[in-house]
Amino acid sequence: MSQIEFVLPGQVVKDVKSVRGVTILGPGLRQNEDQPNTICVTQPGKLYFKSPNVYWIEGNRNRYIPKKYDLVVGVIVKKSGDMLKVDIGSAEHASLSLLAFEGATKKQKPDVQVGDIVYAKLLNAHREMEPELVCVDSYYRAGTLGVLSNDGFLMNISLTLAQKLLDIQNPLLRSLGKRFCYEIAVGVNGKLWINARKTKDVLNLMKVFQITDQNAKTDLSEVNKSIL
Amino acid sequence: MSVRKTLISNCEKKFLIKNLSEWTRLDGRAFDEFREIQISFGKDWGSCHVSLGKTSVLAQVSCEIQQPKTSRPSEGVLNLNIELNPLAAPHFDTGRQSDVGVQLNRLLEKCLKDSKALDLESLCIKMNEKVWSIRVDLNVLNYEGNILDCASIAALSALAHFKRPDVTSDGEEFVIHSIEQRDPIPLVLHHYPVCVTYAVFNGGEFILADPSLVEEEVSDAFLSVGLNAYKELCGLHLGGKAELSTDLILSTTTKAANRAVLVVREIKEAIEKDAEKRLKSKECFNMEHLFNDLAAMNLEKYIDPWAGDGKRKKKKSKEKKQEEVTTKMDVEEVVQVANIENLGEGTAALIPINEKDGSKIWEISDEDDDDVDDEIVVVEVPKPVVDLRDVATDSEEEAVIILNADKKTNKKKKYKTKK
Repeated sequence: MSQIEFVLPGQVVKDVKSVRGVTILGPGLRQNEDQPNTICVTQPGKLYFKSPNVYWIEGNRNRYIPKKYDLVVGVIVKKSGDMLKVDIGSAEHASLSLLAFEGATKKQKPDVQVGDIVYAKLLNAHREMEPELVCVDSYYRAGTLGVLSNDGFLMNISLTLAQKLLDIQNPLLRSLGKRFCYEIAVGVNGKLWINARKTKDVLNLMKVFQITDQNAKTDLSEVNKSIL
Repeated sequence: MSVRKTLISNCEKKFLIKNLSEWTRLDGRAFDEFREIQISFGKDWGSCHVSLGKTSVLAQVSCEIQQPKTSRPSEGVLNLNIELNPLAAPHFDTGRQSDVGVQLNRLLEKCLKDSKALDLESLCIKMNEKVWSIRVDLNVLNYEGNILDCASIAALSALAHFKRPDVTSDGEEFVIHSIEQRDPIPLVLHHYPVCVTYAVFNGGEFILADPSLVEEEVSDAFLSVGLNAYKELCGLHLGGKAELSTDLILSTTTKAANRAVLVVREIKEAIEKDAEKRLKSKECFNMEHLFNDLAAMNLEKYIDPWAGDGKRKKKKSKEKKQEEVTTKMDVEEVVQVANIENLGEGTAALIPINEKDGSKIWEISDEDDDDVDDEIVVVEVPKPVVDLRDVATDSEEEAVIILNADKKTNKKKKYKTKK
């Protein structure tokens, strides 16, 4: 993985590497129709390249755009019949069926109230359609998905920080675990649910995430050192 | 499609209340602690940016001349207008005013307008005909709770900072002097009222000063107190639903009064600081303009600022010149010499017609230099200014008095012949 340069919308990237005529484009990039073998930038940010043929853009975006199979944290805003409307920070509210929980049947439905928080997976995300969430995997098991406890706290972080926290090589969450005993659910939509036994711990964790968010430029490992 | 307001989740509510019962707030503030205020002023008079923590409001004061209300023929008009645009929070709509907007507007009006903080009678130009109308536009740039406090501070600082152009009249016609021609006049504020807001939780069990966005959403009610530096009440509003005891309201108001004193002090300090800054940067700033315009050959407009102390002289010379004019009996021509050019709302400048041939003007101002000096000797007005300003004084006279260049030279000749 290597960063190439900072790009702006409309810019054309030339000398695109491909494997057997195939190049994989990530978010913020589009095939350029005018010239063959070039790509057009649609979002400002840093252009990244991963060999042999993957390109994508990492920018400082604030609005979450739903993507299939993303794991998100959302707030239930409306309940009508069997359907729930969930705010996941996208332009449109996502829909979640009450039957899409583990063990839910027509007669037995989970107890979900408006204002509750769910950790769910995006089943469907299309530009022209309402995003659809589920709280079960393909084997109808909940796994880690489902309604989150009302004891914790929900906070908003930047999309980049959410991605960074989800990086398995990121030591921040682990080192925090040495200090505090806590539960966490990170949604790629920039919503973060934390719970700890003491409210003070939750407040401290909140502060840690706020600081890391502000110092996005500084290396996370530095923040990590300062905690320990 | 407008964006819906983000719903506050149950866990946030629960956590916040739980925290309050442990006497802590989410951002680590004490219950009666306020966020930091920052007041900064723009280049124009009456443009002010205030931030209260992350909430920020931009205020701009403008003025225009209009007819007074028939019920109050000798009073100016003050209008407050708060704008909640999607810039502040995505759920604010642009077009019509929302309920929140109307409420905020009314609360601000109650605090600033109904408390008669601004001396409206000083804004009267001619009874029943012309008064100044002062308008305060408030733009919310970011919404992190407690817009009202931030907006009231912004509106007040902007009003205190604002200066309106001077107006003179000869009985029939009114002349609005541009800021370059005459020093603008500050508004008269009788007292400085500000809003101080508290959020009420659990029916008065917890009262938080300066609520943040989440606190505002979770709270049962909000208590907003308008107060001035003398601890006089200028408005009280309890929004939402909570049964507060009178004791609680009284004690909160007392706390708010102490806060208001601090805020007003901060506003005054900020204005003083700004005035100092302007004084320091004024000279070099104006110099720059002068040099630019020397090249452009239309000094007229920029020479005026240096003539601040020429008021008395002006009158005297005016009389003299008017005598001359009447003796020569060509008043009509005098009128034609200058044009009134509209520089914007409520301001205008007098621009001589023969400005185009700059050479002429140059000659005059050079010659008049001596003229002014002569005058100083006669009138005995001390003039502690640099030479450059002398150039300024006389041509300002020219602009105000609307005299023909030829006449001036005539007059000068007269002087010389007298001597």
